[in-house]
Amino acid sequence: MNREGRVYTITFSFIATFVFVLILALLNAATVQKIQENEQLFKVKAIMKAFGIEYDDKQALQTFEKYVKVTTLDGKELYYTLFGTEKLYGIVFGGSGLWSNISGFLAVDENVERIVGIEFISQAETPGLGGRIEEEWFKKQFRSEKLLNGAITLQTGGSGDYDHENGKVDAITGATQTSRALINIINDHLVILRNLLEVRK
Amino acid sequence: MSEFTKIAKNNLIRENQILVQVLGICSTLAVTNNLRNTAIMATGVTLVTGLSNLTVSLFKDYIPRKVRMMVETLIIAFYVIIVDIVLRAYLPDVSKALGPYVGLIITNCIIMGRAEAFAQANNPVISLWDGLTAGAGYSLVLLIVASIRELLGFGTLFNIHIMPKSFTPFTIMVMAPSAFFIVAILIWIAKSSSFKAGEKK
Repeated sequence: MNREGRVYTITFSFIATFVFVLILALLNAATVQKIQENEQLFKVKAIMKAFGIEYDDKQALQTFEKYVKVTTLDGKELYYTLFGTEKLYGIVFGGSGLWSNISGFLAVDENVERIVGIEFISQAETPGLGGRIEEEWFKKQFRSEKLLNGAITLQTGGSGDYDHENGKVDAITGATQTSRALINIINDHLVILRNLLEVRK
Repeated sequence: MSEFTKIAKNNLIRENQILVQVLGICSTLAVTNNLRNTAIMATGVTLVTGLSNLTVSLFKDYIPRKVRMMVETLIIAFYVIIVDIVLRAYLPDVSKALGPYVGLIITNCIIMGRAEAFAQANNPVISLWDGLTAGAGYSLVLLIVASIRELLGFGTLFNIHIMPKSFTPFTIMVMAPSAFFIVAILIWIAKSSSFKAGEKK
């Protein structure tokens, strides 16, 4: 058979593509449930981390169900938990970063005066630059950060602002755009939270 | 010298993919400001180069010339997706850390370069070896660049603080342009030492 002929070329391309894609489809089908479970677990852990709930890795789901409750308000899922005597609230946030969708979890106190914490669920910003929003030092800036005029502001030049009373966080060096986009997403979701909880500024 | 050692030597030093052939520069510039990320990327590229070389070599007699590059791309994408699925299902933490890198592996020119230049004309076993050593040569350069950039840009190595507290990080080292300088200097060193070796003969 002529290996360079049209019929052979088309048949070969068809069969090769079919076989490779079939293997991938089977592999995907075999693992899809496991992947969904992993993602669910990751989200649950992110929510607990943002709230500051300590958990054992193996019992993350049980701990979550025990401490965190969820209700639907205006079509949005509102998570809440009792932390000592204080009630904390949080929502899953999402929006555009510099070139990827950033999603995560934002936790606030009852009157939306302080951010309790933020955690990321998914993002695909430039690794080593914007991708560093996931690093502990960056997220730590938001821990129990007091809001000024109901919002958080970004400043550049520093390498971590740990004054939790000034409502400011430092941008990541070399990734100011990602940091700015993230702050906008968070501020937008603070407004949403305030509306959900009907708290006035 | 056996063929295997010769190939390994060529791929690691004498015909290094980055320093001599100037391939795979995109990822060299993009993912080298943090050693951990670089190590993950290097491992991914090495594995995929080896396996795609093996597969291309196995099928080389059946692939029509006209569509060979498309088939090579199909094979490369196939392995990259397998790596992605397996990581997401069984090593979710590593998968999170890799983030957008897995997709980037497909576009690495070294993989296509080895499939075209070597696997098309050699037997499967030696093609696998060629792919793995080409990947190792790439990893070697990437890790050198990354250790310089991470040390000077963040004062850390593998996220562990090395530099004294008084050290001021070089912001330029965090940004992609610094990789240009470092790669250029490495190419300079490699070229001049290969010229010297030539003169002696």
